Amino acid sequence: MRILVVDDSRAMRMIVVRTLQLAGYDEHEIVQASNGREAVEVISQAPPGLVLCDWNMPEMSGLELLKGLRAAGWEVPFGFVTSEAAPQMREQALAAGAMFLIAKPFTPEDFQDALDPVLA
Amino acid sequence: MTYIPSADDLEVITREVWTSFLDGDPDGLLPGETTPGAEEVTGCVHLSGAYVGSIMLRCSAPAARYAAAALFSMQPTDVTQNEVVDALGELANMVGGNVKSMLPGPSALSLPSVVHGQLAVPGAQVVREVALSWRGETLVVSLWQQAAQAA
Repeated sequence: MRILVVDDSRAMRMIVVRTLQLAGYDEHEIVQASNGREAVEVISQAPPGLVLCDWNMPEMSGLELLKGLRAAGWEVPFGFVTSEAAPQMREQALAAGAMFLIAKPFTPEDFQDALDPVLA
Repeated sequence: MTYIPSADDLEVITREVWTSFLDGDPDGLLPGETTPGAEEVTGCVHLSGAYVGSIMLRCSAPAARYAAAALFSMQPTDVTQNEVVDALGELANMVGGNVKSMLPGPSALSLPSVVHGQLAVPGAQVVREVALSWRGETLVVSLWQQAAQAA
């Protein structure tokens, strides 16, 4: 399966990729995008099996990306990895169609808890 | 009465970020001093909405290089300015996002900005601050609030 990691911070993309490997998902192909607009290009070329997306990004936020995907009929599984994890953000994320929200900072166990049900 | 996260809250959040992504050592951050150093870097995110203010991470230039090196898994001597800006911005974003979740909402969190030197926000004042020491270098985390709101 292809997993698309979307974050404007290259450091955070590296940490997410490292955490995916530590959590045991190293057999999956991981592709990256640095904002929502780039993610749309990647998804439209070859839809991934899962999108792991930051919330707060330039060009197009994670929430705008998710709403745009759903409006266009793309049902790709989508989860947020974000520093903002207040209850109202979780509600907004789930209402827009996200499957989970992982709060930064996170551990490999947090990834397993959120991703295992999706990737199983 | 609105709850404003305490200096201890700032420290707990910063320790969690540092332990998760930078050090793995809960004792890596020690009490420090706020004294400005010769060369500093500041990462900052702003909040607007129910709470108007900023969260800043100010550290010495060597600490910024060490942080970037840890996040990018590289040697501090190989770190470029781009990596320092990315790392400090993301650290400010993580600390700021977690502080935001303790503040009254709804508020919007800005994208991070990173400057060389110290940063002051016109019309805002520091309401909480914690000074730490990491690898012998200064790290100061502060929460700012617009004066009109703080009054």
